[in-house]
Amino acid sequence: MMQWIAFLFFASMTLLSALGVVFLSNIIYVILSLLSTLVMVAGIFFVAGAELVGALQLLIYAVAIAVFYVLVLTAVPWEKALKKDSHYRIEGVLTFPILLAFYLEIILVFLLGVSVSPKGQIREFIQNLGNTQVVGSILFSKYFFAFELVSLVLLVGMIGAVLIGRKEDKTYEDSTS
Amino acid sequence: MGSLFVQLLVIGIKILVILGVVLGLGAYLTWVERKVAAHIQRRPGPMVVGWHGLLQPLADGLKLITKEDIFPRTGNRFLYNLALVLALVPAVLVFAVVPFGPEFEFFGVKVKPILTDVNVGLLLVFALGSMAVYAIALAGWASNSKYALIGSMRKAGIIVSYEVVITFAVMGPVILAGTLSTYEIVQQQINQKLWYIWLQPIAFVVYMFAMLAETGRVPFDIQEAEAELVTGFTVEYGGIKFGLFPLVEWYVEVLSLSAIAVVLFLGGWSPINIPFLGFIDPLFFLGPLSPFVWFVLKVALLFLFVLWLHWTLPRYRIDQITETAWKVMLPLTFVNLVLTAVLAPIVWR
Repeated sequence: MMQWIAFLFFASMTLLSALGVVFLSNIIYVILSLLSTLVMVAGIFFVAGAELVGALQLLIYAVAIAVFYVLVLTAVPWEKALKKDSHYRIEGVLTFPILLAFYLEIILVFLLGVSVSPKGQIREFIQNLGNTQVVGSILFSKYFFAFELVSLVLLVGMIGAVLIGRKEDKTYEDSTS
Repeated sequence: MGSLFVQLLVIGIKILVILGVVLGLGAYLTWVERKVAAHIQRRPGPMVVGWHGLLQPLADGLKLITKEDIFPRTGNRFLYNLALVLALVPAVLVFAVVPFGPEFEFFGVKVKPILTDVNVGLLLVFALGSMAVYAIALAGWASNSKYALIGSMRKAGIIVSYEVVITFAVMGPVILAGTLSTYEIVQQQINQKLWYIWLQPIAFVVYMFAMLAETGRVPFDIQEAEAELVTGFTVEYGGIKFGLFPLVEWYVEVLSLSAIAVVLFLGGWSPINIPFLGFIDPLFFLGPLSPFVWFVLKVALLFLFVLWLHWTLPRYRIDQITETAWKVMLPLTFVNLVLTAVLAPIVWR
């Protein structure tokens, strides 16, 4: 009973703030409702008993990722943030089919994942070991290849970021003198 | 039904006690800080209101509450007020996972002096701790003032850098304890008869640096920098709204991070430790109260240490602060993490 009330609260708040992301005009409000969506999704994870996933959702999405939007926005001039009409209308219309394809892919992957996911086999592990250990042992046994692949992709991304962000001294020197 | 009612009652009492103690103590720590600062500078400090200025926080509070509420004309009032809520709520929520003492029995009801003993408590602490960025960024943006914006950007940069460092610094003790629950970490230290500071001195030092940076204490109080930025992101706030930001940053957050440091490195509520031999309790005559007294003593010690630094050191430049985070602290925590991860399974278990 309590679980249902909490779930309904978090789910409805998630939907409301997701609608806010789409419909609000002031971009600072948009970012705040995105933040609220992410926090509420973490709440849903907590209700479902996935404490580790919930905490990581808070730590990574709600803090580490959303904060960069806020940092960018604080550099946006005041008048631009209050601008009412959209900036990229034609681009928005053009990218709509691609976006639709992405959503279809997400739904497809979700359905496939549901059909192959083990039903009730992991529950026993969780009761014996606790959330964190189960996630760790599954990541490092069953999904080890995917895990390593993802970490490789992240490493490449990090090296790229370092390369872009480095100071370019002595590049334009000695051409005139 | 009866047991559910008792449980709800216990939770309600815990919430009230924690809120009352944290906010009341936060207000009174202003008096402690002013006294300590005064004695460091060889002057008496507040002396007029009450005995040795003991009623000074109440007088300050009255003054702040009755002041006019000034608001910048072109600011955004909703975000301006929201920033206050966003600053206060996560900072106080951190205390939900701080264990104050061992489990005890009270009229036949077993009570753990911790609000929620979730098994990912530590992750929650750092998730909530870095929520402070939003309050600061919003406060700077909604004030529509250059000083406020620069101050908030500096602070946000510092928090983003040191949040990474602090998360990696606490991984050492987590590996040694084998759990993320704060209560269990203290229990492990008592079982193993060892404070983790003896095995993780590097992690402890890095943690203290990151704690100073996150709470905006000297030598990392560049977001405030009254000489160049007046007071950073709080410029446009007046009255009690102005008072709330330092209360949260300088007192509530320092208290919560000190408490977490005590839990992780100094054995929580356990008495003085001799490595691998056991515990010595000079306060044994207090009986069942002694663990709580030890916990408060250790937190007070760390708080006084922070005050001592605050009133002794000059401040760094912003680029020096972030460079220290990424180029010194982070590699140190990596070395510590790898060493712990390699050595712990061999020596430890």
